Amino acid sequence: MKELPPKEANLFREILECYQSKQYKRGFKGAEQILRKFPDHGETLAMKGLFYNQMDKKEEAYELVKKGLRQDLKSHICWHVFGLLYRSDKNYEEASKCYINALKYDKENIQILRDLSLLQMQMRNLEGYLDTRHQLLELRPQNRQYWVTVAIAYQLLGKPELGVKVLATYEETLKDLPTTPDYEHSEMLLYHNSLLEEAGQIQEALEHLDAIEKQVCDHKAIKENRARYLLALGHMEEAQEAYRALLAINPDNVAYFEGLQKSMNLLNSSGDNRNNGKLTEEQQSKVLDLFMSLQKEYPRSNAAKRLPLRYATGEEFVKITDKYLRNMLRKGVPSLFVNIKSLYADKEKQKAVEKLALGYLAALEKSKGFDHSGSIIEPPTALLWTLYFLAQHFDYKRDTNKALEYIEQAIQHTPTLVELYMIKGRILKHAGEYIKAMDALNEARQLDLQDRFINTKCTKYMLRADKMAEAEKTIVMFTRADIVNPLNDLVEMQAQWFALAAGESHLRQGQIGRALRRFHQIEKHFNDYTEDQFDFHTYCPRKMTLRAYVSLVRLEDQLRSHPYYVRAAHGAIQCYLTIFDKPDGEDDEAMKGMTEAEKKKFRNKKRKAELKAQQEAEDRKKANAAALEASKKAGSNAAVALVEEDTEGRPLGRNPKVLEALARSGWQ
Amino acid sequence: MGSTTTTTEDKSKAAAFRIGLGDITPNNLGQLKRLNTVLFPVVYTSSFYKEVLEVGEFAKIIYFNDICVGGVCCRKENVPGSTSLQNLYIATLGVLAPYRRLGLGSKLLKHILENAKLPSSSGPKIAKVYLHVQTNNEEAVEFYKKYGFEVVEKCENYYPQFDVKDAFKLEKVLIEKN
Repeated sequence: MKELPPKEANLFREILECYQSKQYKRGFKGAEQILRKFPDHGETLAMKGLFYNQMDKKEEAYELVKKGLRQDLKSHICWHVFGLLYRSDKNYEEASKCYINALKYDKENIQILRDLSLLQMQMRNLEGYLDTRHQLLELRPQNRQYWVTVAIAYQLLGKPELGVKVLATYEETLKDLPTTPDYEHSEMLLYHNSLLEEAGQIQEALEHLDAIEKQVCDHKAIKENRARYLLALGHMEEAQEAYRALLAINPDNVAYFEGLQKSMNLLNSSGDNRNNGKLTEEQQSKVLDLFMSLQKEYPRSNAAKRLPLRYATGEEFVKITDKYLRNMLRKGVPSLFVNIKSLYADKEKQKAVEKLALGYLAALEKSKGFDHSGSIIEPPTALLWTLYFLAQHFDYKRDTNKALEYIEQAIQHTPTLVELYMIKGRILKHAGEYIKAMDALNEARQLDLQDRFINTKCTKYMLRADKMAEAEKTIVMFTRADIVNPLNDLVEMQAQWFALAAGESHLRQGQIGRALRRFHQIEKHFNDYTEDQFDFHTYCPRKMTLRAYVSLVRLEDQLRSHPYYVRAAHGAIQCYLTIFDKPDGEDDEAMKGMTEAEKKKFRNKKRKAELKAQQEAEDRKKANAAALEASKKAGSNAAVALVEEDTEGRPLGRNPKVLEALARSGWQ
Repeated sequence: MGSTTTTTEDKSKAAAFRIGLGDITPNNLGQLKRLNTVLFPVVYTSSFYKEVLEVGEFAKIIYFNDICVGGVCCRKENVPGSTSLQNLYIATLGVLAPYRRLGLGSKLLKHILENAKLPSSSGPKIAKVYLHVQTNNEEAVEFYKKYGFEVVEKCENYYPQFDVKDAFKLEKVLIEKN
């Protein structure tokens, strides 16, 4: 019975092909054709179920696949199909059980082994992954993918040295090496090299670099690795040379400077590298000389000018900081303070910078120069940027009055500069004046309506001031205009900053339900990120982007340590605690001291009132929609009305867990 | 109303800076409004700014080291009895105080005059450019005279809301009437 006659067997093969090539309708028809003659053919039933799944008919799909499986419990196809069904619903646990059953009846099915290994990686069942990939390698030893994935499995299991052996064995089997640059081969070799480093075999890694250099396309990686290995092995002179060569390529890469310093024993890895780094006097004078000569060599490098400020102290610090600040203030670099403030961990340096900046201000006001010598007349913007710098300096010290004084002076000087209002807002925000801060940001926004950055910042300040309607109106100026609810674009775009700020605002206002929806939206985004890696389990080994793949897998493993996730979790916890403590929401106070019967009565009454309010809201909505339709026809701007509607409705996050928790409580 | 004259300071000592003209758009209109609020005692209406967006090269802002520090707004006026000629009225021209005497006003005015003289293939030509200046604003009068403007009239009580109510009308003729 399980064997179909030749005609139908052919047709069955065809429908399998239809599934592969995504011709679901054709496949579905084929399955029905077979079932007309053989209504109990298990594998066909299962396939029909799978086609139903593609048509989004879940119930029918599960029913048919299960029915098919009952007909033919020893069919690997039925089990595989069942696994695919579970996988499409992201139920990886059940899916892998099905695959394992399928493999019982067809041990060497490459497709099922591959599918199983992907699930194992996704669930980080690394032992299982290694096992499955081993089997694949034994079945198809000529396929490079299977070699590298076994190496990856070993690496992720903390045995990079075994990964090295696997790759070395594979490389020995290669007869003709590519003669022209071959990206995939090159990436495999660099991955091999990274395994040596991870295994702590630095000397071998260094020698390996020399051996593979000619076949590698990523020249920068070769140079960076070599410099790092030379340093680790204590070959200081060669390391120095290597880092100097790297600086010639990019004289603004801080890591290169630090490598060079280390090779010259001018950086203490234990010290605070933002400040002095516990250098001896001799080291200090040497490191400053080094940067002096690098500045001459790379006059356009900002890092070469900025980094010595870390190491200089006393008079020397004042001297070189003076030069640095004048340069930047003359040029008008808005990020100057951000560049400087890490030095403030050293109180002495903070004082020195303050003294210098106040000196510039006095001199600019009187003599139009950074000093009174009159040798150079600075552009008027020098005074402006000095005031801007001082405002941030005093804000850092939380001297709100002085900070505001300087920023107001700056605004008086040049009232058209957007950055000034942003700093004014920031100072006010730090002082707890959220409404005034928001007003300052809104002023900034109105000066440059096409600046997405300031629009976004302004929105954030509005949310901080709990002005939800204003915030929504502001942000939709930069969301997609061609969708029904512009706010949903932010969810689509995974704009977490917005969801978080909105959630925290709702929480501050005691709107627990809305806050929870926002926090769970963040959770959903993180789940999506976890889900998104699935495709890379096949894509990366195929494309040989192995170094990037391993770093992705490791990133995913600690994804939820991201500050956004932590903040969202904190917010959600606070919400749930509130629900637990006050299950009747705002009515908790009112219900104090009531008997159970009274409470019941109270709740019933409230529910009725709510239902009535809901009905009224529906009616309003309908009227709104009608008005909207009319205004659309009139060609007016409908977007605003839609946004307002959204603040009433709750289209965001229909998470059943949330709804359940809310339904049990009086919060909504 | 506002005025600038070119620098009298020793240029050799001045640090280098950049100057550039920019279009006025609905997005940066806020900056022009802010400028005009600071520079001029007159409050301009929204219809004034609507026109500004439509006069093309006859309304500009000027950047100093990439910061907007000044601007000019003109409007075209029909000449009675002529379809081939128009007059250009400079409604505002000004630069923020710290940025004066650096040649920015001149750059704005020159831009307006150059564009006024451009031969237009279609539409009316600009016959003259004119403006009003408070009678006590000698600096401004001198500035415009340098570019060929002449005082043609004293308009009494032109600015009834100010202390100095009288204004000079200055004009520069580009096309002589037949």
